[in-house]
Amino acid sequence: MSAAAMPMSCPPTAELIAAVQRADSSQGLLLATQALAACPDPAAASTLVEVLGFNNPGAAVAAVDGLIGLGPGAVDALLQLDPENYGARAWAVRALAGIGDVRGLELLVDALGTDVAASVRRAAAKGLGALRLGDLEPARQAAIQARCLKALLAATADGEWVVRYAVVVGLEGLAKTSPLDPAAHGALKAGLQRLQVVSAENPTVVQLRAQLALDHLSPP
Amino acid sequence: MADADASPPQAGEPISEQEALGRLRQTSDPSQQYYGAWWLGRMRSQHPEAVPLLQGALRLRRPRDTGAGVEENAVARNAARALGKLAPAALCAIPDLLDTLEDPDDGLREAAARALGELQAPEAVAALCRRLSSGPEVAGGQRSDSPRLVEPCEALLEALGDIGVATPEVLAVVEPFTSHSRPIIRSAAARTLLQLSGDARWSAVLVELLDHPQLQVRRAALMDLGAAGWRPALEPIGRTLAENSLKLMALRGLVEQGQGDPGIPQLLACMDSLL
Repeated sequence: MSAAAMPMSCPPTAELIAAVQRADSSQGLLLATQALAACPDPAAASTLVEVLGFNNPGAAVAAVDGLIGLGPGAVDALLQLDPENYGARAWAVRALAGIGDVRGLELLVDALGTDVAASVRRAAAKGLGALRLGDLEPARQAAIQARCLKALLAATADGEWVVRYAVVVGLEGLAKTSPLDPAAHGALKAGLQRLQVVSAENPTVVQLRAQLALDHLSPP
Repeated sequence: MADADASPPQAGEPISEQEALGRLRQTSDPSQQYYGAWWLGRMRSQHPEAVPLLQGALRLRRPRDTGAGVEENAVARNAARALGKLAPAALCAIPDLLDTLEDPDDGLREAAARALGELQAPEAVAALCRRLSSGPEVAGGQRSDSPRLVEPCEALLEALGDIGVATPEVLAVVEPFTSHSRPIIRSAAARTLLQLSGDARWSAVLVELLDHPQLQVRRAALMDLGAAGWRPALEPIGRTLAENSLKLMALRGLVEQGQGDPGIPQLLACMDSLL
């Protein structure tokens, strides 16, 4: 977005970035990050990504909101994140899940399959059902859908109920993005049916959500 | 509020049920017994030896010795917690848990109270009430030697709510704790009264605590509204300043424990938005 299109209340991005870098207290960082996150300028992205690694949850939440607001313009900065910075990576998964850009696919698949934190796997599962595929050619769309489907189906066996709940939401979203071929549609439906089963290990809330998704599922 | 430290002492390799039973059976290494007891509860073992071994571990408790530290009783604590998760097989251990409720170690009394609540043991109501009957000033007073309360009030109150015997006598014991000086105890008392009576004035106490300046209190109020399944709290839960993980657990409680409006589609839509 150009400077002219920005709201009058938004100071120049460089000033907001400097304020984040100058912040010397937890509260100061939070406020400065919130101000920067409210600024719809892609130049803010790399600083917002830096904030994800500062171990300040309040500021990280604000930064994730800002990065999701920037959309595809934030993806490059998110993908440049140091994979060894575990805390930052968890927040980046949430941002990428919210943005829905296909460049985040590998990171989301990896997070759903391997991350130790249920909250990260949960965000990744939802994100894999919400990738924006509309502008891609049909063969590429089908290939990405197949990756997402495979990862989500594997996670129907996740040990945490909240991840399985998110897998249901992800599978439902995947079925809505664009038509699936009959085999994929059948596999997706079978995955939802597994999560609809009444059992001591599968809480009622997951069963109910799976039932709702099956009700919404359109025929192939 | 859920039990906070019922987790294994170290991240270990996945073990089998036989291995867990063996670790609990041996007596030379208490840390292995601790892990074995935790495993049997976490995996909700149906093995016929699980409950008898846990009952045995519960009897291994020792008199509290501040010099040696309370860790002496860690195996017994985990055994009590595991028994709480093993209904119906563990119903035969209710007398052992009632006995543990009289132990001098308040940490053990806490674990026993939670287990009796999970087993929904009506025979525990009298003992739980007796422990609380001296009220927020005495049972709920702070110990002279630590920041802990004389009785594990939060666990005792919540067990009464989980068991669900709603006589006037039980309500009269619980109600004074809604004016306890600690907000976590007020939250536990309001949750129990809401579960027992369904009276909306107790939900108002919990909803107000969702705005408390301390995160720990907001988390407790979220869990307590979830345990009571109080669906009208959907909107305030959604805007509480706390982790989405906690809100999702609370909303699961509204879905599974609650009834009426807002209905399940609205509750699930809110959960979807928090993932």
